Amino acid sequence: MTGGAQEQTGDRTDAVDKVLAGAMFVSDVAVPGMLHGKVLRSPHPHARLVKVDASRARAMPGVSAVATHADLVGMERTTGWRIRDWPILAFDRVRYAGDVVAAVAAVDEATAYAALETIEVEYEVLPFAASIADALAPDAPEIFDPARATGAPRYGPGARGVSAPERNVCYRYVFEKGNVAEAFARCDHVFEDTFTFSRAQHFHLEPHVSVAEWRSNRLIVWSGAQSPFLLRDELATIFHIDQAQVRIHVPYVGGAFGAKNPCRMEALAALLARLAGRPVRICLTFDESFLTVAQHGAILTVKTGVRRDGTLVARESRIQLDCGAYSDAGPHVCEKAGFRMPGVYRWEALSTVCDAVMTNTVPGGPYRGFGGPQASWAVESQLDMIARRIGIDPYAMRVKNMLALREPYVPGESGIDSDLQAGLDLVCSRLDYDGRERGTGRGMGLAVGMKDGGGQNKPAQARLKATPDGQIFLHCGSIELGQGATSALCEIVARVLRMPRRSVVYAEIDTDVTPYDNGTRSSSSGTVMGTAVERAARTLRDTVLSFAAQTLGWDKDALDLDAWHVTRGSERVAIRDLINRTFGRTGFDFEAKGEFSMPQDFQAPHNAQSMFWECGWAGAEVAVDRETGEVQILRLIVSGDCGVALNPAAAHGQEESNALASLGQALFEHLIYRDGVLVTSGPLTYRVLAATDVPAGFEMIPQEQGYGPGPFGAKGAGEGSLLVVAAAIANAIDDAVGARVTALPLSPERVLAAIASSAGLQPSS
Amino acid sequence: MTDAIATDVTVNGRPVVLAGSTATTLADALRAQLYLTGVKISCDQGVCGACTVLVDGAPTAACMTFLFTLGGCSIETIESLSTGGRPHPVQQAFIDESAFQCGFCTPGMVMLVKALFEAHPDPDDATVRRWLSSNVCRCTGYAVIFRAVDRLRRTRSAVTDGAP
Repeated sequence: MTGGAQEQTGDRTDAVDKVLAGAMFVSDVAVPGMLHGKVLRSPHPHARLVKVDASRARAMPGVSAVATHADLVGMERTTGWRIRDWPILAFDRVRYAGDVVAAVAAVDEATAYAALETIEVEYEVLPFAASIADALAPDAPEIFDPARATGAPRYGPGARGVSAPERNVCYRYVFEKGNVAEAFARCDHVFEDTFTFSRAQHFHLEPHVSVAEWRSNRLIVWSGAQSPFLLRDELATIFHIDQAQVRIHVPYVGGAFGAKNPCRMEALAALLARLAGRPVRICLTFDESFLTVAQHGAILTVKTGVRRDGTLVARESRIQLDCGAYSDAGPHVCEKAGFRMPGVYRWEALSTVCDAVMTNTVPGGPYRGFGGPQASWAVESQLDMIARRIGIDPYAMRVKNMLALREPYVPGESGIDSDLQAGLDLVCSRLDYDGRERGTGRGMGLAVGMKDGGGQNKPAQARLKATPDGQIFLHCGSIELGQGATSALCEIVARVLRMPRRSVVYAEIDTDVTPYDNGTRSSSSGTVMGTAVERAARTLRDTVLSFAAQTLGWDKDALDLDAWHVTRGSERVAIRDLINRTFGRTGFDFEAKGEFSMPQDFQAPHNAQSMFWECGWAGAEVAVDRETGEVQILRLIVSGDCGVALNPAAAHGQEESNALASLGQALFEHLIYRDGVLVTSGPLTYRVLAATDVPAGFEMIPQEQGYGPGPFGAKGAGEGSLLVVAAAIANAIDDAVGARVTALPLSPERVLAAIASSAGLQPSS
Repeated sequence: MTDAIATDVTVNGRPVVLAGSTATTLADALRAQLYLTGVKISCDQGVCGACTVLVDGAPTAACMTFLFTLGGCSIETIESLSTGGRPHPVQQAFIDESAFQCGFCTPGMVMLVKALFEAHPDPDDATVRRWLSSNVCRCTGYAVIFRAVDRLRRTRSAVTDGAP
């Protein structure tokens, strides 16, 4: 379905597939003999699993397999990322309402559902703790088994981890620089404030879905996995088979945002397939995705010491993440939320402790921003609060303290690769910040955020093969989740080889063939993988020119490659002709590979410097209704710097869309638990951004400052704008009515309460 | 569950008989019996609009519409829009503005926009937003989709004439 669609420079490689709807998504995969799997979930937030009787289900016509914990034989019983604490099927206890107790594979979904209803489960209900405070109370039930904790990884200077430091805390990350107590003593002011960050749901439109099939002694899986090689290796571990026995295919994925990373339902689909002797598809309902994984909520207590002229001196941060019932990405998000507490500023001393607290709620997993939004919410809110308290303009205080271009983030880390003030000035000028109207319920707020980008321990590898006629196949492990990764990477190849972009095909992801990759995350595809792809393209060019030089007897240094012709001055020979001369009329592959990884550096806090820095800037203008607490977003200006845009439409789209997603979480989107059960449990009750919620005054200003380390000056983009929207709006509300909201979402009730509590206090300066 | 009911419909211009029980939804029937995988099932509750198809020209949540109620109806899915691989003007606008990311909401969104322009050949901003608010896009935040609609407004005669 590709013939005839006009390709223009900005077109994405996946445009025709998606807009003409010929794209095959994971949910479209159908395999002969495929059965349909459904799972039974605990209604209780915490209970001992006394008995599971699935005998009636097993006997039901149309049912091919039923799995309970008794079937976890000859395999691992739990999975996990750093800590293997998540049961594949509950065996001793259920730890959240939604925990999986049994699974059925049947001829169709209706039969599977009917079979589930016949499964009898006996629970002994236990006390539960559905909040951080409840989980840390002295009489809290034990949710996390410390025996499962693994040791903390080794970090570089400044950072350390503690495994299971206290009850119901699975991991603690600590970062220290200098001596905070001593530094506080030298400050003119020390302010302590506490902030709360809500839990959001990924809300990817394509649900969690996978198909598993055992063929001979191999396990073949189709999944929307963001990290297919991690999934492959995890499934091999779970089933006690070799990595080479597992093969993962990843078709188009209908959204992920972190939810499809790492292993989700694939192990269960594989278990049912093994029991049934037939392929099994498990497609969760939309509501079930809400019971599978969510963002980490957080409570952040930040103590900051400053001089009276507004210089930031020292910060002590204590963060508690709501990790849910199983550790999953908890330890990783702990590291990142903690590491990002300095914000974009320069500090003499830092002390950060971040705990992953277990609660009897849905497990927290990777969610775009990965701890950055939580940290930035506190950092950028408090910056404004302090500025107002000491009588300094929030813009001036930011500029005074922000890191300069190339200045290291913290000792041992790489230097910042964006001019932070230039970005802020761009936003302020667009907003006319200096000329702003104040005191009539209208105000403006700013925020600047940054996160380390490119990931850690992430060697990237890419391979190219090219035909004599100039058809080029790019094999690498970056998954197209919607972010435009495939377009950007094909663009790199096209530019290096001076070929039209449509000559470059992005090969399907198949772990048998695709080079290894650690996962599509951390905004790494454009830059980390991009560098590997660029190297592969340059090597391919060199290989082709060497072949040409040898075949023609020409001096290689005098040759160039253009539109799949070798040129020497005005002479021009088609590569196809060279192949014909050498081999006759035949096909042939030119091959090349490229690799890139950030070198290990044990002087850096996380054992490698950050490859790049994702920066975001926002300015908001609001009008606040003092009687209803409603906040009207008059203008929201956001900006991100992608260095150089390899595919402008994709890069700008990312910044824009992440800003708008943050707007939803800032104003209304959040998960609500009542009595340990999720109340906002699906699309009817969990409000996400609709077209009518986009402010008319929303604008994204793309920046291409060009300092990135990636191909042509590029760097990863998209997550910067996740860091700044909520704080910019909260700061604007404070500017407008002198009321400070420190918890998300910025609901009318909270705004009214803040207005009421600020009455009688000094107005903001 | 018996598939005892035969329903005569026209799908993408072709008359066809689809089988089902009283519980069979239009979305399931189109995907399973006609392999129209462009009909996306997401929330399956009639909230997100990913399954939007046109039934007698009206945007309809296929996941919430029972097949047996559609006897004699004409159904259009995204697969009907491009002819010989050439995109419909609505599709070309989405391509030109890269008005998508993951692509899962895209078929429903495109059908909605097609219906929008058939109902309102020159829609104003408020009308556009009101229509688009019936479909969820989690990836883009809608800004690029607004731009695709703006492009269509500028060239609206091409849409209503149906010429690519």
